[in-house]
Order: sequence, then structure tokens, then C-alpha cells
Amino acid sequence: MNFHFNEEEQEILDMLHDYAVKEVAPRAHEIDEEERFPQEAREGLAEMGMMGMYFPEEYGGAGLSYLSYIAVCEELAVHCATTSVVLSAHESLCCWPIFKYGTEEQKQKYLTPLASGEKLGAFGLTEPGAGTDAAMQKTVAKDEGDHWVLNGSKVFITNAQYADTFVVFAMVYRPDYKERPYTNKDISAFIVEKGFEGFSVQGHEMKMGIRGSSTCSLYFDNCIVPKENLLGEQGKGFKIAMTTLDGGRIGIAAQAVGIAQGAINETVAYTKERVQFGKPIWKFQNTQFQLADMQAKVDAARLLIYRAAQAKQDGEAHSHLAAMAKLVASETASDVARRCVQLVGGNGYSREYPFERHMRDAKITEIYEGTSEVQRMVIAGWLGATK
Amino acid sequence: MDFAEYKDILVVLELDEGKPVNVSLENIAAAKAVANGGKVIAVAVASEEGAKVAIEYGADSAIVIEGDQFGTYNGDVLADAVAQIAAEVKPAAIFTGATATGKDLVPRVAAKLAAGAVADATGVKLDDAGNIVFTVPAYAGNVLTDVVIDTVRPQIASIRGGSVPKAEPEAGKAGEIVKKGITVADDQIRIKIKETVKEITESVNLEEAEVIVAGGRGMGSAENFMKLQELADLMGGVIGCTRPAMESGWISRAHQVGQSGKIVAPKLYFAFGISGATQHVSGMIGSGYIVAINKDEDAPIFDVADVGIVGNALDVLPIMIEEIKKLK
Amino acid sequence: MEILVCIKQVPDDSEDIRLDNVDKVTRVVNAFDTYALEMAARCKEANGGSVTVATIGDDSAVTELKSCLAVGAQKAFLIKDPAFAEYDSVAKAKILAAAIGKIEEANGAKFDIIFCGKEATDFAKGMVGIQLASELGVGVTTDVVAVDPVDGGVSVKQETETGYNVIEMATPCVVTIQKPDYDPRYPTIKSKMAARKATINEVEVAVDDAGSLTKVLKLYEPPKKQAGIKIQEETVADSTIRAVAIMAEAKVL
Repeated sequence: MNFHFNEEEQEILDMLHDYAVKEVAPRAHEIDEEERFPQEAREGLAEMGMMGMYFPEEYGGAGLSYLSYIAVCEELAVHCATTSVVLSAHESLCCWPIFKYGTEEQKQKYLTPLASGEKLGAFGLTEPGAGTDAAMQKTVAKDEGDHWVLNGSKVFITNAQYADTFVVFAMVYRPDYKERPYTNKDISAFIVEKGFEGFSVQGHEMKMGIRGSSTCSLYFDNCIVPKENLLGEQGKGFKIAMTTLDGGRIGIAAQAVGIAQGAINETVAYTKERVQFGKPIWKFQNTQFQLADMQAKVDAARLLIYRAAQAKQDGEAHSHLAAMAKLVASETASDVARRCVQLVGGNGYSREYPFERHMRDAKITEIYEGTSEVQRMVIAGWLGATK
Repeated sequence: MDFAEYKDILVVLELDEGKPVNVSLENIAAAKAVANGGKVIAVAVASEEGAKVAIEYGADSAIVIEGDQFGTYNGDVLADAVAQIAAEVKPAAIFTGATATGKDLVPRVAAKLAAGAVADATGVKLDDAGNIVFTVPAYAGNVLTDVVIDTVRPQIASIRGGSVPKAEPEAGKAGEIVKKGITVADDQIRIKIKETVKEITESVNLEEAEVIVAGGRGMGSAENFMKLQELADLMGGVIGCTRPAMESGWISRAHQVGQSGKIVAPKLYFAFGISGATQHVSGMIGSGYIVAINKDEDAPIFDVADVGIVGNALDVLPIMIEEIKKLK
Repeated sequence: MEILVCIKQVPDDSEDIRLDNVDKVTRVVNAFDTYALEMAARCKEANGGSVTVATIGDDSAVTELKSCLAVGAQKAFLIKDPAFAEYDSVAKAKILAAAIGKIEEANGAKFDIIFCGKEATDFAKGMVGIQLASELGVGVTTDVVAVDPVDGGVSVKQETETGYNVIEMATPCVVTIQKPDYDPRYPTIKSKMAARKATINEVEVAVDDAGSLTKVLKLYEPPKKQAGIKIQEETVADSTIRAVAIMAEAKVL
């Protein structure tokens, strides 16, 4: 396996790095503190062509590799975890399922403006009673001949307040559902536009970390969805959701590694400057060894991510690889961010410095797009089936 | 080119309401230091008073340019006039202040005379052959260069304020003042000034100030920034700012100190909430005494400060005002 | 409008440049030249025409020229000269003036206006633009923050210490650009990829009397300012009181 970026990809990544340092990093503290959506970055990244970078040019994308997209998710998270998830929820969770499962008409109508960055996307699967257990969905879609009628709600939807296009999941109504409860085979995916009759976005989740990202609930109150907005085959929604999340997890794993790398970078810089007992605390072996351990683990996680990304790029089975990457990366990120706060000490705990933000931001990567426990289930499932 | 023919030094004065600004008086002292037996001749546009002051500050004589083309500064017009004078006087050197107009003028004059020029010199001395060795900062003052012009005359330079101290004036000192009517040919004037707009009405004289109270991003807001005024008033000083403070709209560009603002050298410089970016420091490093206040103990401003206080600028300011009041 | 933007490759001034590391510092396009390019690109977008960039240098400048192609320039010329680092501003102005004729020939069009940065962040002399105008026998305005075409020429806004001047010049002419109140654009993935594939044209000029008139005798570091006293007492009040006492003792109050 060769994880080198070609010269062209490297130049694009350098360009993004430059942008992130100048435009994303300086706002990270503010958007966290004020729980403000990073609108400038969302626009700047769209302008640059980053919002659909790995989709074909014919659909408004830039035609770059999936691996370089993953590197972008990481680079953004080094500076601002919120900005990273805005991009990855949009590309991994909304653009991708439309690209993979959409009809040509759907791609033209929805993917093109999404991938060009003109519109923002979101993904609605989680419900109050259906988090990890997707089969507990209560949102129902009823076939009304020339259209669908959706009723129900979704929670914890990233980008919700700012999104134009939503990929949402619902049980296709069966009259006999009381005798024969809905299963995963009843789930279907739909494309819902902001402004559809009966559809609303409400509330703003007050979160521990990634506080600039818009996390809201979606409500469907006799929401009318055109017939042609069924995404993929009827009853294949669960597969669509799971394959989408396989990709999403690689993006989240990259976000986790980015947060961890950002924490390490800042900690190295801080400890070189901070003098205690007559020398910079960087000079103490405890500082160096701890950071060396952290860096080694971050790099190990990064390699898992690249392997999963490469497999996805090559069209190989990657559910278990994505799960392993996310499990290791997110737990590494939480551990690294926590240890960095400890190394920095009092200032690490102060909101004047970025260290506590890294710790809060890292935690979510163990939870969303499948908790660490779900990742273990996926990995164990693969183990049981193949070994 | 026979260098022996080129003896004197012309100092082109920058005038403010007829009087030479500080840097022009300093230029006279710089010229005296490297006159090498030649005379120092001040050149004033339409101001006999300016010429007199220049002579009091050490110029041997002065030329007053007269003519109806010399209203607002026009680089093409003044450069041609200076070139006409230089053709007659054959000076060894021409100095002017490294102000916005001075930096505009020098290359124009140099081009007209096919002479060598340096910009923004911070020091002058003579070498053994009688050439002026100019000290010219590079990389925002992190590196200095010594530069000579040893193949042509005159040696033309803009010299930065605060580099060479002005002389003590000698009231009523005698010196010849020659009035010279000059006309610049139309074909030499390629720029037409259609309109001059004054946006900044307050008079801010950072270069002349003995005390500057400057604030940076650490002041946090326009309202907080203006609290510096009390200290400035108390000290008889002028408000300065960094580029970020100016770009935040807290104060006008006229107050900006640094590479893209003014280069200043007051006796006392207060830096409140200024981190000390090279671009700012290069504009104030010549200050006599630097007091820095920053909450970040590692801020680079402390590397150049004579006294540094680690603390929030907003907390320190009122206490400092009270303490200084007690002393006064 | 046919626009030429003259750029210079300089060490990145966001890094800490010292005498002993200056050769190792990353090279970038001079900041004022990036403002010039952005203003030129906006000028072109508003009035039509094209933007060409040029620099005097060696092959290492190709990177900077390509980066300009990604942010608003359509054509790029490298004025190849192995001795470029030796030249002073007069020599550079002469070489640029000679090269401009060749570039115009290659482009098949004369330039209406030549943009330069007001100065470079390395030596900050601000002379090349003015001397270039003199070599070309055309008008030049410094510290320009806006350029608009008018009949037979351009109207430019020159920043002054107290406001601005509105100045008219016949074209062709030279403007040296001060930072306007907007920032240069970022490249996009598409513009970056197109720039990668673009060819950089090369011109060589022979200028008989391109000799520099100034000579750099030596480069050295300024004497280090002696570190002062840094005060961090228990309370801000204590620190301030102590600082004022030190200032009083130094008789600066």
C-alpha cells in the first residue's frame, strides 16, 4: 500500500493548509465560544471547490481522490473540529449516498449544487428512540400515489439549520405494522429539501464540543415528498445508511486524528515556551516521552484511516476497516487531548487556550456516526464471519 | 565623472505649514556629518521661513523654490525642480526624509539624474574614498546592510526619522537664502492630481511625538482602545496603534506604527496589548524607552521592552494612570 | 485593459528572518505584489482584457508565477537572468523595461497599465516601479489603492497620510500598489490544477548598461537590544506599581 499523495494532490493539500492556518484557525476559538456556525469557512471552502472535492467534475465536484478528501477532513480538524465536521457531514453523509444510489436526475438536481458547494447537505437517521438501534425508527413514509407523506422526527442532525438538502430515512408504512413490527427491511431513504411542505428544522442542541456546528432536530408533519425523491430502492434504506456511515466514519476518524494532531502541535509549542524549574517544560523527559507516545499512536491511527480510505477508493470491502479506524482514532484523540490538557496544566484547563476545546471536541468522535461500541460490533461481526 | 566637482549636499525639506518637519532637521544633521568639506544646502518649496529654520538647524545656505506649480506635492514636478537645481549645484548627495513623499521623490530624482539611490537609510558615514556609506535595514530591521554609491554622483537617499538626532538650533544664524523661480515643462508632468481629499482631520504627529501610547489587538474593543487617551493626555503623548487595531476600525490609519504605517522613535513608547509582530516592532524599535504590557508572558514585545508587565492591558492601564498621577 | 503585474519572490516575512536563516526561509510572492495582482484581476474582471505576471529570476520563480496563475493572472513570463540577485533597483527597472517590449511582442498587445507592489517585504525600497516608469518614459503613481479606466487613461486613488488623492494618468502608465481594504483571493482546486498545467513563458534580455549603481558592502545583524525587566507580581497592581517605579528611576516620566 502506498499512501503518498501525488504532486497535484499535495499542492491542493498545501493550499488548504494555507487557507486553514489563515482563515480557519483564527476563528476556531470564537465559533466555539459563541456556538456560531462557521459560515465564512463554509463559503470559503465552497469557493475553493472543497465541498465536493472527490466527486466527478460532471456533478460539480473536483474529481480528486477519496484519500485526499480524508486528508482535508484531518487538516481542517487540526485547526477547527467544527469546520471539519461541517464538510464531512455534507460530503460523506449527503453527497455520497446521492452519488452512489441516486438516479441520474437526482444527481443532476441535487448532487451538482451540493458538490459545487452552492448548497449544503445533511443526513437524518438518528431519532429520539433510534440511535444505535436504527430499526426502532418511528418516522414513517406513506405512499400516497404520486407522492410520499412523511411523519416523525430526527434528532442530532449536523448542519441542519444551514442545510438545503437532507438525506433522511423512514419506515415505509405497512398497514400490518402492529402485528408485524417494522424491521430494517422497511427502511427507505428520501431526499428532502428545505422548504418542503410540512418539514421544519427546530431547536439548537447545546453541546459539549464542536459547538459551532449546527445540531438540530428535523420535524416531518405530513411532509410532502415527491415520488421521485425516493433514494435508491424502496426497502434498501438500511443498507444505504450503513454504507454511507462506513464512509462517514473514515471522515470522522480523520477528524479525530486531526484534533489529536492539533493538540499535540499546540502542546509542543506551549511546552517549549513555558518555563518551570528554570527550563522549558519541553526539556523534561516526561513531556517528551508522553508526546512521543501520543504522536506514535496518532500516526498508527492515521495509517488505519488511510488503509480504510484506500480500500473505499478502490471499491473494496471496508466496513470493518472504517470501524477499526474510527474506533482507534477516536479513542486515541480523546486520550491525547486529555493528556495534553494535563501536560499544559492550569492553562490547559483555561478557555483562553485551545487545549480544553480539543478535549471536548475529541469526545464526540467516540459517539457520533456510530459509537465506539457500534464500531466494536462491526469489527466483531466481521471477525465472527471471517475467522 | 569627476567626483571633485560634486561637493555639496542638498537636503530637500518636507514642510508642514511652512516649517520643516523633524525628519528634515535630522537630515540636515546627517548631511553635516558626511559633508566632507562641502556645504549643506537646504531646499525649501516656497517657504523662506522654512529656509531660515533649516539654517538655524545647521544648513549653510538654502534655496527657496518659487513658482506656481508647487502647490500640492506632485512627484513629477518636485523631482524635476530638484533635478534642475542639482544640474546647477552638482551636489555630492541629495537627502530627504523617508516619509511617503520622500520615498516617492527619491527614485524620481534618481531616474532624472541617472544617479544611484537608497531608500529608508538609518545611518550615514563616510568611507576612506569619500563615499557615503548608508546603513539600510532589510527584512523589517532584522538585518542591516551597508550600501555605497561609488560610481556616480549624486548619492541620493531618503533617511528615516529618528536615525540621526537633529542639532541644537542656533537662533538667528546667518546663511544665504537664494530664491529660485522654477518652471517644470509640461512634458515632464505625467500625473494630474484631480482632487485631494482629507479624510483624517485630526492632526496626528507620530513622528514628532516624544511619547507614544500605543495599543494593539489586546485592547479588545474600540471603547477600550480609547481609554489609552487618558494616559496619552497625562503624558503629553500621541496615540499609536498596530495594524490589527487599525483594521478592526478602533482608530484611524494615521495612528498606525510599523512597516505599513509610521516609523517612529519617541523618547518613551507604551505598548498596550501589543504582541510584538516584526512588522510593528520594526516601526518602533528606535524608541528611547519601551514599556510593554501583555497578558502573554511569552509575547515577543517583551524581547524589546525596557520594562514589561505581564498582565491584562485593560487591568494595568487605570492603575498605571493613577501611579503616574501620584508622581506628577 | 491589458495589465502587467511585476512580482518579486521574497522570503516569507511571516517567518522570523535572520541573517543566518534567510536562505532557508520559504519563498513567497511579495505581499504587496499579491495585492497588486488582486487589484489587477478585479480591474480585468470589471473592464475586460487580461492580466500577465512577470518576474526576473531563475527557475525557482516558476512556483511563484504558477501561484499567480491560480489567483487571477492568465499568462506568466519568467525573465530569466542568472545574476538577478545582484541587481539593484535601477538595473531591475532597465531589465524589466527591455523585457516588457518582448512580452508585449509575445502577447501581441501593448500593456495599458503596469502594476507593481509599493515595495517588497525584504528590502522595502519601493523604487523599482518608479524607476521602471522612468525607463519607459511613462507616468507613475505610488501608494495606489484603486484603479479605474477613464478616457485615454486611468484615474487612480492614491492613499496619503491624511486621506487620498485622485490622480489621472495617460496610459500606458505604472502604479505601485498599497494594501487596499480587501484581501487577495485564495486559489481554488480548479484554478490550482489549471495553473499546474500552464506553461511559463521565458524571455531573456540583454541590457548593455544594466549595471547597478548601488553596491552592498555587507549584511549584518543589528546589535541586540539588551533585554529589559519583565514583571509578574502576585497582582496586576503590584506589577504596575513596580513598573512605574522603575520608569521613574529611569527618568522617562
